[in-house]
Amino acid sequence: MAKYAHNGVPAAAGRGKQIGVITKGSLVEGLEMKLDPEQNVEDMKAGKFVVIEGDKNDFFSMVTDMRLDANNQEVLLHPPGQEDALLRQVLAGTSTYNIVSLRPMLMMPKDAGADEGPRPVKAIPSHFSEVQEAMADDVAKIFGCEGDAEGRYFSIGNPLDMDTQVCLDMIRFAERSNGIFGKTGTGKSFLTRLALCGLIHYDKAVNLIFDMHNEYGFKAMKENGSSTTFVKGLKQLFGERVAIFSLDPQSTRARGVQPDHEVYISYDQITVEDIAPLQDELKLNPTAVESAYLVYAIYKERWLSTLLKLEGPDVEEFAREIGAHAGSLVALHRKLKRLENFPFMVSKLRDGDVVDRIMEYLDKGINVVLEFGQQTSMLCYLLVANIIARRIHEMYVKKSERFYATQRPEDQPRQLMITIEEAHKFLNPMAAKQTIFGTIAREMRKYYVSLLVVDQRPSSIDDEVLSQIGTRITALLNDEKDIQAVLTGVSGTEGLRSVLASLDSKQQALIIGHAVPMPVVIKTRDYDAQFYSAMGCMDDLPAEERREKVERDVAALFGE
Amino acid sequence: MIAQARELHGAPSFGQFIRVEAEMPVVGIVFNVFTHSIEPNRRPTAYGKTEEELRLEQPQIFELLRTEFQALVIGYLDGDEAVQILPPQPARIHSFAYLCSDEQVRAFTRSDDYLRSILNTSKIPTDELVIAVLRHTVRAHAHAPSYLVQMGKELSRLLSDDYDRLSSIIRRVVN
Repeated sequence: MAKYAHNGVPAAAGRGKQIGVITKGSLVEGLEMKLDPEQNVEDMKAGKFVVIEGDKNDFFSMVTDMRLDANNQEVLLHPPGQEDALLRQVLAGTSTYNIVSLRPMLMMPKDAGADEGPRPVKAIPSHFSEVQEAMADDVAKIFGCEGDAEGRYFSIGNPLDMDTQVCLDMIRFAERSNGIFGKTGTGKSFLTRLALCGLIHYDKAVNLIFDMHNEYGFKAMKENGSSTTFVKGLKQLFGERVAIFSLDPQSTRARGVQPDHEVYISYDQITVEDIAPLQDELKLNPTAVESAYLVYAIYKERWLSTLLKLEGPDVEEFAREIGAHAGSLVALHRKLKRLENFPFMVSKLRDGDVVDRIMEYLDKGINVVLEFGQQTSMLCYLLVANIIARRIHEMYVKKSERFYATQRPEDQPRQLMITIEEAHKFLNPMAAKQTIFGTIAREMRKYYVSLLVVDQRPSSIDDEVLSQIGTRITALLNDEKDIQAVLTGVSGTEGLRSVLASLDSKQQALIIGHAVPMPVVIKTRDYDAQFYSAMGCMDDLPAEERREKVERDVAALFGE
Repeated sequence: MIAQARELHGAPSFGQFIRVEAEMPVVGIVFNVFTHSIEPNRRPTAYGKTEEELRLEQPQIFELLRTEFQALVIGYLDGDEAVQILPPQPARIHSFAYLCSDEQVRAFTRSDDYLRSILNTSKIPTDELVIAVLRHTVRAHAHAPSYLVQMGKELSRLLSDDYDRLSSIIRRVVN
């Protein structure tokens, strides 16, 4: 609060450059600012962050739209020629002027104490209130600053055209399910990796990451125009705190890392509920699932191995035995045969249940990245993610219930965040009712599990799930339906629409929701050596500095 | 305000600022210059000769002519301060009139009030006078482009966005 003198009168220093005055507007529709003639309208980008200085409050607002206007049709019919430079200058700001639409997002009373945060907007500033560019401390006041004692704030980028940090409130971020959306190639994976780094670094949640494209564990490609470079994965940044599980150990090794655990799944671990969501991928008809239940009713967990052991003509006989419809069971059998092609499917597990192992790691606070290697088919991804998430879900429900019963702090489960890519496959209106992820998104908050949904087609995700998403981090989206979907369940979205459609295709994102006090457009933080060292990774530091840091850390840990 | 020039044809130019000496000097803008005969009833006659030939042949006729100019009062000087309202007293008969210094012109033209005074006066060629005045003041302001833009914007407001008039004035000021 260095900005204000004690009596609440704004100190001259610390105010941004004036860029215009408020001329009209309403609380519902947003405000309009007449841009000062000296300002170039091209500097007013959608999503820019400005402060309106009212009489009693500062209003933190976002630029949502701009308009060229003229008060005289004559000017527009006979525009000044290129050579009439003076006339153009004279007309700028008088006959021809620029109107910038602003959406006030938060207000802060001028006499507020240092510990008071910004409040939701319930008033609007008076006529001709000054509009200023936001300064670093305005941004810090709203979004907090990285490096607080609690480790609450994690800088994810900078506001447009500014050098200060925009921080996510990691505690709030971990509390609810979150979404990262954007067209392909807009940096979803980078945003996801950043968010995960924040969660792991500040230890606000333990993560289970279904890494379909092997982007998070160890090394990832950075698309950089024509050249391609590699960036560090979570394992490299956080070492012991991240474990890599692999469905395709060979592929993982080929990329230069030994998986901490190889994943095998036995047929007995697959239930009918795991097959049901695969209807689309396996092209099952509804009766197939019912036939599966019939088999299950007799053979219990051995239903799948029993079914798959049968060959051709035996299936029909088997159907007659158990009283199922032969055609339907034959079809089911034929389609489930595809599962046998997966190398990770085994009839008997050699070294224990992988889900138990994952749970062990998660309990210890070690984050798990499950790599799919070359098993990138959607069928495999859906199947494995479903099996594992369902079991984890069951365990978390049990753990939470134990905690509710005992109420001992040591029984409190760690907050778990499950990252899923191509989330619309799990969470489309059809599947959301069948997959475990639908349940988690809807109700698992009280069981300490939340989702990090990564998707390029948010319109395919069930509305009910979307409306429960706490924080949305959205890169560029063009499709009107997708934009609509991302803004589902967010109030005051009129202006955000234009902002979303006008984001850059790289390194820019709009953040809305629970973890930020107001929607904000950011230029994403660079994922580079500086970031690595901020996350505590010392590989890239010069030997000298590394030694100093280690000594410092040792001293901090054990005393001088 | 009417003044007589000291010499025949020696009046200040159209659009220049003048100051009439008094306790509070009155400041005006020249908007009319005319030469006529001393006798109200006698009109000068054309001789069909050049001025030089006439001066040799009939020098007396030049003594019978005089040059006068009219100025639009736009304010007065209170000490060094420019006051943009009509002076409390009119300029006295027989007071001396001087051209304003560049500094005085600058003091009077920092705001746009002089343009308003001109535009609000009827029976004078307002547009022409605005152009002439602006050309003089811009020179006094060392041809600063920002000054011209500022005045242009004021003019645009004063003309209530009469775009044709504005663009014609601006174009002619620059040329």
